[in-house]
Amino acid sequence: MNAFDKSLLPKKVRLSGADCFHLVLDKHAQKHGAGGNVMRKVFYFSGNISFEKTESILKRSPIIYWLCNIELVPGSLLTIPYWKFTDRRNNIILLEHHVEEENSIPASILARDITINATRFIEADLLHYPSGASAFVLSWNHILLDAKGTTLLFNHLNHISENSRINYDLFFPAKEKRPNIIGYIRNMYKVKHFIQHSSKKPVSSIGEKDQKCADGSSSYRTFGFNSTESKKIAQNAFKSGSRFGPTLFFIACCAHVIHKLNTKRGKKGDTWVPVPYDGRLKGASGPLISNCVSFLFYRLRPEEMNNIPETVKSLAAQMTSQIKEQMPQKYNMLLNMMRHIPLWLYYFLISRTGEGTFASFLYTSTGDNFNELRSLFGEPLKNLALIPALTYPPGFTFVFLKHDDEVNVEIAYSPGVINEEELVLVEQNMRELLLADY
Amino acid sequence: MEAGIIIEELKKYIESNILSGEVKIDGSTNLQQAGIDSFSTVEIILFIERKFGVMIPDDKLVPDNFRTLQALSTIVQELLN
Repeated sequence: MNAFDKSLLPKKVRLSGADCFHLVLDKHAQKHGAGGNVMRKVFYFSGNISFEKTESILKRSPIIYWLCNIELVPGSLLTIPYWKFTDRRNNIILLEHHVEEENSIPASILARDITINATRFIEADLLHYPSGASAFVLSWNHILLDAKGTTLLFNHLNHISENSRINYDLFFPAKEKRPNIIGYIRNMYKVKHFIQHSSKKPVSSIGEKDQKCADGSSSYRTFGFNSTESKKIAQNAFKSGSRFGPTLFFIACCAHVIHKLNTKRGKKGDTWVPVPYDGRLKGASGPLISNCVSFLFYRLRPEEMNNIPETVKSLAAQMTSQIKEQMPQKYNMLLNMMRHIPLWLYYFLISRTGEGTFASFLYTSTGDNFNELRSLFGEPLKNLALIPALTYPPGFTFVFLKHDDEVNVEIAYSPGVINEEELVLVEQNMRELLLADY
Repeated sequence: MEAGIIIEELKKYIESNILSGEVKIDGSTNLQQAGIDSFSTVEIILFIERKFGVMIPDDKLVPDNFRTLQALSTIVQELLN
């Protein structure tokens, strides 16, 4: 039973430019046999959480209902692709699992198909471990929600568990302003030129462009830092020149780790990495649905990788230059314009960038979004994890997550991109760089 | 230039270009808590360069100086003088 007014849910929601980019990534994942453009968030609890209570909260959410009852209507030259609300009375399916290995996620969840052809774009699982601890896993297709949208979704679920009033206005994107076509075209050329220049050969990637990940699986490895170590990491970020938050320091450490690995493998070339940038106005509580991200693109030459402060300096200069040129906004305009292009042509154009290699590696961070999230569904949280969508190639993503003032690093990877021995070295190298004395 | 004028210029820029319409700030609002992140801080630095014709030197690029509009206006005043 759904205790909300379905008439308040929109019948049609147009895809944003970034949503359409994710449609291309979905196609790319299918072509390369990778696990799909699916995100998963895992919430760990010390005790048991009730199946009935969790299911009841999920079923009382209008946004979850909407996500279970939509289908994609493809675009054409004159129309932009949109989500059609079908109202087929599909409810979210919450599955319960008893897992033997503490804190692990069953392979069946990680391999679940939530691609664009699925009937639901969101799935939920409840895991019970032998110690009596439990975990809640939410999986969704990245075409629909970005990282900030996810934070808003969990805030919304917490509001439902507290029986707070639901504000439908915050769920969906506002009506778009009429575009200035000439401005769009002018920007398109600038951005195209910038990205082509930024991603030009030689770029060395951890993945191989022709390698396929036939079984569709993705794996992950997690390591964390206690609060004392996390404080030192924050101080190191500042000392290295990452003055307003640790992002540039984290990217620099990732770049060094991958550069070292690639050098060991005999690969030569610059490091090129696109980093997502939340395009919402700051402090906004919506929209929850649709990807509002743009990207900043960083390119690092081997001579900028002698030490971390030098790399941070180069990243800071590149960031300032791109913000000065309003590149993220212009890139967003380009993505919006690309919505009018047929998907096959869009895919062809995108995959030509960098001759099929999307990036040296991928990086994402939840920032402070979940740092102070102490409970979910009224139950105190022990820890949380984000398993990102895995774009293949490069098939290797670093995720930085902060919860309860402790830094966690997750590596999501396609088997075949990196072996166990190399993974151990990556973790060891990352720990050394984050905790070094600068 | 008076601190009040600098605060007003910064407030106008930040509210119309960076913050969501639902967020209002004044001289003592904690900017980070209002939603200002590292990228927005760079936008503010670039605005100060354009508007007041001063470059904030490296040693002043510390979070304390960007905590509130009041703190920012103090830096701008120092640089103008």
